[in-house]
Amino acid sequence: MSVESAPTLPFSAPMIDDGSRFSERDFVVAAQRGDERAFAELVRRHQRRAYAVARAIVLTHEDAEDAVQEGFLHAFRALDRFRSDQPFGAWLNRIIANAALDLVRRRKVRDADELPDSLALPFRDPGESDELRRRLREALTELPDRQRAVIVMHDVEGFTHGEIGAMLGIPEGTARSDLHHARAALRRMLKDVRSN
Amino acid sequence: MRDYLKLHDDNSGADPAVTDALRRAYAAPPDDGYWASLEARILSRIAEGAYRIDWWDELDRWMRPALVAAAVVLLAAGIALFRQYQVEQQTAYEAMLTPAPSALPVETAVRPVLQESRETTFRYLMTP
Repeated sequence: MSVESAPTLPFSAPMIDDGSRFSERDFVVAAQRGDERAFAELVRRHQRRAYAVARAIVLTHEDAEDAVQEGFLHAFRALDRFRSDQPFGAWLNRIIANAALDLVRRRKVRDADELPDSLALPFRDPGESDELRRRLREALTELPDRQRAVIVMHDVEGFTHGEIGAMLGIPEGTARSDLHHARAALRRMLKDVRSN
Repeated sequence: MRDYLKLHDDNSGADPAVTDALRRAYAAPPDDGYWASLEARILSRIAEGAYRIDWWDELDRWMRPALVAAAVVLLAAGIALFRQYQVEQQTAYEAMLTPAPSALPVETAVRPVLQESRETTFRYLMTP
């Protein structure tokens, strides 16, 4: 588990030399003791999922990256408060989701006058019809923030209602209801383009 | 509620084409180089931010002990006030029950010098 590209974290501690021999819990405990490579390994293992969580909540890819970085920083600072008997991924995802929600709130305050024309979707599939892509972008912008986050977390990332509820700080039933309304709204808004 | 949940299970209402489009739209960058770069940026951010004092975090860290301390002080002040109130009530009650002291004897006396002076003046006036 080399971290040549990563800068050294501001502490020195005994290092874990081979990631394959250790469980995630070992890495968490080692990171709590100040092992910089252990925390880098946790970042490597969880950054994709963290990005997916953040991406479901914020509007743009760039904001998702910001939320992920901010979330990992919060997690690093709160590491001593993490109880190693709970799943690290779920704990981290809640922190990432909170960072993303906080970013959305700050963006709303700052950009109150500037409504986004469309949702930025940076990774285009050339095979997808321009019309469907454009209409989907518009439709997602029309959805309430929470409904958009819930449908993306569930239908794209495969989180359960309970996991989504825990991350967004809402009851499981609310997540279920949001998913239902978001699907119905997208179906309604994309009905004509789908029939074509 | 259970009926509602049954009606809206995980797959009800999902349009496969829309779901596919969503998955394509929200697909994470597939390039490993991107993730290596993001990891480096995350660790760099942590390295920068680890020493930076975040005052809100500091306040947040002190919030709970401060609230506990404030609660203890308020409790102690409340107990002290209550005890003081009790003592005052007891004193007032005892004062009410204690009979008022009877009128003190008043001794009156005429100053002899003054009396003599008055008589002298009177005699002077009456003397032809």
